[in-house]
Amino acid sequence: MATTTVLTTESPDRWKYLNNILTRRGPYSDETFEPGDEPKAFLADLKILVIGAGGLGCEILKNLALSGFKDIHVIDMDTIDISNLNRQFLFREADVGKSKAEVAAAFVMKRVRGVKITPFNCAIQDKDDEYYKQFKIVVCGLDSVEARRWINATLVNLVGEETLIPLIDGGTEGFKGQARVILPTISCCYECTLDMLTPRAAVPLCTLASIPRQPAHCIEWASVIQWPKEKGDLKIDMDDPEHVTWLYTKALARAKEFNIPGVTYAMTQGVIKNIIPAIASTNAIVAASCCNEALKIATTASPYLDNYMMYTGDESVYTYTFQHEKKEDCPVCGNLPQDLTVDPESTLEQLMEKLQEKPETTLKKPSLRTSSKSLYLQAPKQLEEQTRPNLEKKLNELMEEGDELSISDPGMPFNLRFIISFSS
Amino acid sequence: MSVPGAPTAKEKKYDRQLRLWGAGGQEALETAHILLINATAAGSETLKNLVLPGIGRFTIIDNAVVTDEDLGTNFFLDDSSIGLSRAQKTCELLCELNPEVQGSFVNDTIENILKSNPEKLKEYTTVIATGDIPTATLLSLDAALYPLSTPLFVVKCVGFTMSCRVALSEHPIVETHPASTVDLRLFNPFPELIALVDEKAGLMDDKEKMTTHEHGHLPYVLILLQALKEWKSTHDNAPPSNYSQKNEFKSLLRSKMWNADEENFEEAIAAVLPHFNPPSIPGDTRAVFQDKKCDELSKESSHFWIIAQAIKQFSEKNDGLLPLPGALPDMKAESKDYIRLQNIYKAKARADLAAVVQIVSDLLTELGVRADKIPESEVETFCKHAGYIKLIRGRSLNDEYEKSPKAQIISSDLSDPTSLIHYYLGLRAYEAYISDEKNTRRIAPGAEDSTVDADTEKLKKHVTELLDKLSITYSPELLEGTEKAIGEIVRAGGGELHNISSLTGGIVAQEIIKVITRQYIPMNNTVVFDGISSRTQVYQF
Repeated sequence: MATTTVLTTESPDRWKYLNNILTRRGPYSDETFEPGDEPKAFLADLKILVIGAGGLGCEILKNLALSGFKDIHVIDMDTIDISNLNRQFLFREADVGKSKAEVAAAFVMKRVRGVKITPFNCAIQDKDDEYYKQFKIVVCGLDSVEARRWINATLVNLVGEETLIPLIDGGTEGFKGQARVILPTISCCYECTLDMLTPRAAVPLCTLASIPRQPAHCIEWASVIQWPKEKGDLKIDMDDPEHVTWLYTKALARAKEFNIPGVTYAMTQGVIKNIIPAIASTNAIVAASCCNEALKIATTASPYLDNYMMYTGDESVYTYTFQHEKKEDCPVCGNLPQDLTVDPESTLEQLMEKLQEKPETTLKKPSLRTSSKSLYLQAPKQLEEQTRPNLEKKLNELMEEGDELSISDPGMPFNLRFIISFSS
Repeated sequence: MSVPGAPTAKEKKYDRQLRLWGAGGQEALETAHILLINATAAGSETLKNLVLPGIGRFTIIDNAVVTDEDLGTNFFLDDSSIGLSRAQKTCELLCELNPEVQGSFVNDTIENILKSNPEKLKEYTTVIATGDIPTATLLSLDAALYPLSTPLFVVKCVGFTMSCRVALSEHPIVETHPASTVDLRLFNPFPELIALVDEKAGLMDDKEKMTTHEHGHLPYVLILLQALKEWKSTHDNAPPSNYSQKNEFKSLLRSKMWNADEENFEEAIAAVLPHFNPPSIPGDTRAVFQDKKCDELSKESSHFWIIAQAIKQFSEKNDGLLPLPGALPDMKAESKDYIRLQNIYKAKARADLAAVVQIVSDLLTELGVRADKIPESEVETFCKHAGYIKLIRGRSLNDEYEKSPKAQIISSDLSDPTSLIHYYLGLRAYEAYISDEKNTRRIAPGAEDSTVDADTEKLKKHVTELLDKLSITYSPELLEGTEKAIGEIVRAGGGELHNISSLTGGIVAQEIIKVITRQYIPMNNTVVFDGISSRTQVYQF
């Protein structure tokens, strides 16, 4: 671990170009912007948190360090993998297996004099409200929807008289990406826009089990049906080459049986890990856009993004910059419950399966209640057993039209609320 | 590891990008040699994004020594670099990123190289010009590179503003990566497909002859073709042509369902709007067929034009149809039925490919070239993408600046204060300021606090001079947006903000990757980004 070194005095020329922006008013600068030494000092004292030290995170740490931020924290629970090296430029082959947060922090501190980066090799859920409260800005470079929902809800919950922490979020896929600024409770939050994600196209189990047609069907059969059958409780480790090879071999044999061409090792990995293509250049664009917003918010030197920029690079260059609307019935930052139409003849279990199809209602371990009774509780064990028979019951036995259904999950710091209406 | 098909070490490292551009794209990157003129922050960031995915080589030409200011914006320099060659130090730190990439540097100016050794430019496959380069140098560089078909990227990055101008000559793209290449041939089924429809779906209304299971597993393509036969028999042998007829056709399909949860029929209904289109050759493909180069083949013609001519002839012999790509989407069906249908489409695609390969080899023979000069795999890729190809004919910087400027683009945007044309004009004025003969040290506008006001006026004057030269009339109000853009540019004092440099490096690297791999569609020819409003705009100057 790097220790804080005593800093020699920086040459005043080092930050000359950044200072030009901070000591001069621009034609678009906000009225409240006071050019001079103050924004510089403010930047140096401001605590900023980076979540993720991967493709976006490496870029974000570099960018913040070269934007005058001096007190940066970074959280990432991952270790470095060989397939990271085509874009995560703070890592070398010798770093494979080490903590991303620690290696990234040490590298940037060594390269950019005077910046302090504090790494945490842990999950974001391991930190409490007091920890998050110390930051003035959070910049997020994650590939997980779940983690984004968690930090978003946490920052919305923290909003109070003294606290409002802007969340700047980036994401990429191939040549495309987006950057956005979320002012919790003021502008639209991450949860408000979950319906922009494409719903999971789940392949019916019967297709996997009896009528496969695509190479992906054979691979999913191997991982979803054949693995538990042959390996019992052993969990699949997507990064263990032996496991991947086992799945690949099984999928290949099944494909041969049904004359399905196209199963490859790379495709096997892609399907089971849900691999999203990622390249350095797209990460650079999105991370830089996020950090540009962080600098503008921290210094008020120029107006910041309100609130969403999409970048598309696979056909010419196209950006769409717009204000995404806040949702009044957003379960995190809104006040109103959402409407939910259900088939009264379907069972509670079927309803729970249906909820998993849409990203905005996908939860890992959902517990369901109406205002008058508990329908299904995942924990404690006793209550789970007590409520389990409800799963088989039809919805019209459990609730009435107009009832409020509330769904909670131990992994999410908020509840989903729905007003039920019936329709078959 | 001895598993057949398991990835090599290189495939593991590049896995996330190979899923975008494949082995062919990677090979193209690995044979590229990129020249960067001036190791600015934006230039170094661009190279970073090209070294990481594994370009073959890069060279940096720069005669500057590293200053403290460089350290505040360029990540590929450190304290120990101060006072040393900027080309050398950035080259060294960039090389650390990927041991497979060769980097070299030249401590010189591009002006000297253009003067003393212009032949050297032939070594490079792509050139990036960044930093404060005067117009005259840019134009000579363009004049040297454009005839060689070496793409030149001119990159400007000042404060919150950036622009990138690419001078591409002829740039055909086959692998444009469309969302789908599916052509079901519903309106012109080939004999093998018709035979399968008769065999499998001919009895789809007969509850005596078909089980419920069979009915619920008929592939939707066969359902559509069978129902089309019935429709045509009552509609003068014509398929549904307009929106209301298509809706009628959907009702016909719905009436053929045996129960409400037949997913295959739902799939058929959903396929009517996207797939019921009369066959036609898309505009971009037609433009290629109509191009002079397509008809006037010679020994020197590139593979692209020869294959394009072959496909044009194929299409003329086949009622205006392009070769079948052969892709089939997934659909509810029994495994064996789906595979059989898939094989019918694939076999047709192979037959079409064989016909095109034959025409290609005849053309090559006519041209007096070996008939197997063009590999079949290349013809196959073209056939699969025949309806999705794209030809870009770019313009040189000399075209834009001197020979045939497009004043119309500027004048039409001038009155819109939110247009990024104002930043384009501001950056052109910046370039004119740098190019001023009296400004021998190439000091940037706004470099000192004391010169901000005077420099602002100078840039305004450069803009009005440019507008006059282009015979664009304007009123002072029209220039309100431009004045603000100039204000921002002078504010930066010629300095880069690292975030904007990094974003620039991302945009330019994406474009270079698209150009080198000849995959996806590059921007043509100018993109401007404003980091205040976080917007881009593309112009074809």
